[in-house]
Amino acid sequence: MGRVFKKTKGFFDLSLSLAKAGFKLKNEGTWLGILWYLLAPMMIFLLLLGIFTDRLGQNIPNYPLYLLLGILMFNFFQKITSESIIAIKGNFGLIKSLNFPRESLVGAIILKSLFSHFFEIIILLVFLLAFKIPIKMMIFYPGILFFLVLFLFGFALILSSLTVYFIDLNNIWVFVSRLIWFATPIFYSIGGQTRLYYLNLINPMYYFITISRDIIIYSKVPELWMIMSALFFTLLSLLLGLFIFNKLKIKFAEYI
Amino acid sequence: MKYIERIIVQQLNKNFKIGFKRNQSALARLRDIFNRRFLKRNLHVLKDVSFNVFSGEILGIVGKNGCGKSTLLRILSGIYKDYEGNVKMNGKAIPIIGLGTGMQRRLTMGENIFVVGSLFGMSFREIKKKFNLIVSFSGLENYVDTKLFQFSSGMLQRLAFSIAVHSNPDILLLDEVFEVGDLDFRKKSAEKIKELAKKGGSVILVSHELWMIEKYCKRAIWLDKGKINKIGKTNEVIKEYKKCG
Repeated sequence: MGRVFKKTKGFFDLSLSLAKAGFKLKNEGTWLGILWYLLAPMMIFLLLLGIFTDRLGQNIPNYPLYLLLGILMFNFFQKITSESIIAIKGNFGLIKSLNFPRESLVGAIILKSLFSHFFEIIILLVFLLAFKIPIKMMIFYPGILFFLVLFLFGFALILSSLTVYFIDLNNIWVFVSRLIWFATPIFYSIGGQTRLYYLNLINPMYYFITISRDIIIYSKVPELWMIMSALFFTLLSLLLGLFIFNKLKIKFAEYI
Repeated sequence: MKYIERIIVQQLNKNFKIGFKRNQSALARLRDIFNRRFLKRNLHVLKDVSFNVFSGEILGIVGKNGCGKSTLLRILSGIYKDYEGNVKMNGKAIPIIGLGTGMQRRLTMGENIFVVGSLFGMSFREIKKKFNLIVSFSGLENYVDTKLFQFSSGMLQRLAFSIAVHSNPDILLLDEVFEVGDLDFRKKSAEKIKELAKKGGSVILVSHELWMIEKYCKRAIWLDKGKINKIGKTNEVIKEYKKCG
């Protein structure tokens, strides 16, 4: 038991240290970099808001909030997956010269993204206040985020380790993630479109985003089967991720 | 001091499959499932390598380029996990392989001490405690806030070595570490290595600087094409190694 604890602590320490370094690297040591993180999702938000408010958003109550929350959560997903897909491949120098818990390379990306997501959440809070929505429902968000992070950690482990074997997977992921962006009800609602509905049943992000919207924007209890599905995908991704990563990591140093 | 076997290597064999990198794109991989014609060549890098290293010992390894020295060190340090045979390491092993292990060129030296330190398995508190020791041993006190891309290779190696010896290793695996350092630092590092050995640690020193091996190692291995050609007293091994060019 003591060994497992020590290992886990080592993983967290190293992840945090790498995350800090990654953050400093990206911003060359200034806090102004945070503005850039926030700018991208905000621009997309304003653009889509301008285009769709009178069309796709007409029948959606509190459309700006609906849109913003969807964009912020998807942005979190997109950032973690697109960065971690090259986490192993891009750090070949490190992997070839040192023995350290490889999972930390992915863990660092998660921590880094969590940090910038925190600022996005502040923007969301401002919008909630502006729309006179009770912000007390936000206390449920950390819980949702906890499971989302576990889901993404597993998923990122799968992506990062497979890219070592399929070296162009990161290029493929660029358009696959764009397809997911369009297929997920972010700037529109599924409404009565059955085909789209069935497609989204296998889309984990659909559950996480819908649950968050239900609770935070509409103050209503999400449907139980949706929560169960989100939990199911979390568990599946985490177990599969740990299994695949552990299986493949033995050969990382030789294949990159 | 307890006299223990720090490193035990028994009949170690390592194969590399050369040529599998022909095409690793996703589509090509899918195609290869149906079309199984792989161009593979087996490269037997280490052949039946067996030796022990005791606590308090500095072992030298000599050999030509491509004889398997770096592969051996990578296996010992746990980077390559796929091999045949037995390898047992008693204690924390820290390798220095290649220049600027794990360093970020766009970060300052101080920031790098924290990154590399945690890669070497040190906790944040430990690094903080030893920060000044690391800086002063490296002799780079004036560059703590300088970004590493402006460092020379000698300076990088000083820093890497300094962090490594302060991370409480029981076993140090050094791959051509002193080739870029100046004489002063070599002496200083060699003293540090001796100190580590005295305290019960072990060091493996891979180097082309034969005089350093002769001076600091009692025992040496001559590795040739993946096999141990000779193992024994340093002066005898070096003598024969020199004879064969």
